[in-house]
Amino acid sequence: MRFFIRIIGQKISRVSLGFFVSSVAISFVSGCTSLPENRRSDLRDPFENENREVFAFNLGFDTYVVEPVADAYRTGVPQSGQRAIGNHIKWAGMPSTAINSALQGKAENAGLATLNFLINGLTLGFADLMEDDTGVHKEDFGQTLAAANVPEGSFLMVPFMGPKTTRSLVGTIGDMVINPVGILARSDELQTINTLQIPVAAVDLRARTFDAFNDVKYNAIDPYSRVRSIYYQTRAGMLEDRVSSTIGSSASDNEFDAFFEDE
Amino acid sequence: MTPVLATPRFDNLYRMLTLLILLWGLSICALQQAKADDHSAAAEAHIEAMIGSAKNLLAIQNSDSSTRLRQVTELLDTYFDFPSITRFSAGQYWRAASAAEKQEYELVIREVIIGTVVRNFDQLKGLEYSHVASIEKGSKLVLVSGLFSDTVGDRPSMSVNWRVTTLPGKPIKVLDIEIENISMLVTQKQENIAIIRKNKGEFSALIAAMREKLAS
Repeated sequence: MRFFIRIIGQKISRVSLGFFVSSVAISFVSGCTSLPENRRSDLRDPFENENREVFAFNLGFDTYVVEPVADAYRTGVPQSGQRAIGNHIKWAGMPSTAINSALQGKAENAGLATLNFLINGLTLGFADLMEDDTGVHKEDFGQTLAAANVPEGSFLMVPFMGPKTTRSLVGTIGDMVINPVGILARSDELQTINTLQIPVAAVDLRARTFDAFNDVKYNAIDPYSRVRSIYYQTRAGMLEDRVSSTIGSSASDNEFDAFFEDE
Repeated sequence: MTPVLATPRFDNLYRMLTLLILLWGLSICALQQAKADDHSAAAEAHIEAMIGSAKNLLAIQNSDSSTRLRQVTELLDTYFDFPSITRFSAGQYWRAASAAEKQEYELVIREVIIGTVVRNFDQLKGLEYSHVASIEKGSKLVLVSGLFSDTVGDRPSMSVNWRVTTLPGKPIKVLDIEIENISMLVTQKQENIAIIRKNKGEFSALIAAMREKLAS
């Protein structure tokens, strides 16, 4: 009984951060007025003025906290250590991928993710014991909602989390709730590892994309709209299982088809 | 009396005609396939040549910034379709722009793109390109897909798509680079359109913003 109470406690503490950030975002948006279509720089972004304010806040947070930490991480931690942390973060996302793949009827991906989780679980995911796991496509609850034809909703810039759509924000909360990794973390050490996953994953991602991110941050004419565009393209690729795929098609094909039709 | 359509002579004629139509259809298909293969092969060769040139540039040690700028500009002029990039990146606002704005924009977007490539050029060091597939997208575009792998193994492999224009009567050129499903040109276009829309559809506002950024 005590064990279950502890598990629920852990879950609540981890999920509560997500809920807190999300509820702040949702209540913030609910207090915002939607811009008329002719005043939006993108039709999918009705809360652009407020989103730009949150974006400025996030950039400030990045400048003073995330960027220096990520810089120290990428220069101070040996490559093997960074690889181990990257492996662990990927491994920790496997249960969510397995569950969401199953919910979307992608049995093969669900099986591969489960196998990956079980085999690499021998080292808590820090070592990649499977020679080739590139076949596993990351699937999240936002993608499951998209597969169930839930509308995408509006573009949102969420404090600390960055760009989302209403649907993907709900999906992120869903993933926090259904992720079973916390249940397996019984010892204090494992609990600590589990709790640190979110900030470590953020630093790892920032470090891996350090130069590209900084190029957008410091050199783009309008970093906000550039980030929004990159977010939508990445998301479209994920929804169509095209990211990291070399199948000779892309989510941007329609834009180019239209261009050559007009020529 | 036997009807004309049922005579053995008409039957032979009918068979010959059918055979001719079939052969004609097959030859059209074969010609189209050959043309498609030509386009794909030419697009792949163009990418391979560009990668070779880029590798040669990366191998040059101690290039100062002005030399690197000149080298990359030459590379882009040789392999990239700047006129199409210019039109695409302005979206629907290209048609409404005045001749003077178009001329000014052509210069400024070129400078922006060259600047972006120069800043990020050295990130290509240590990457090995391998071709995966080519697919014709109509008669004017070929999507050449490949993979960038880190020779040291520190960075994960990245999928890359090159959009290569095969416009009639014009040399084959690169229109767009797409890395991990993020199109550089679509990103530039959406950023440009956002700036124009935020400025009530003023095309000149985009040019001014670009000039300001280049000057900073």
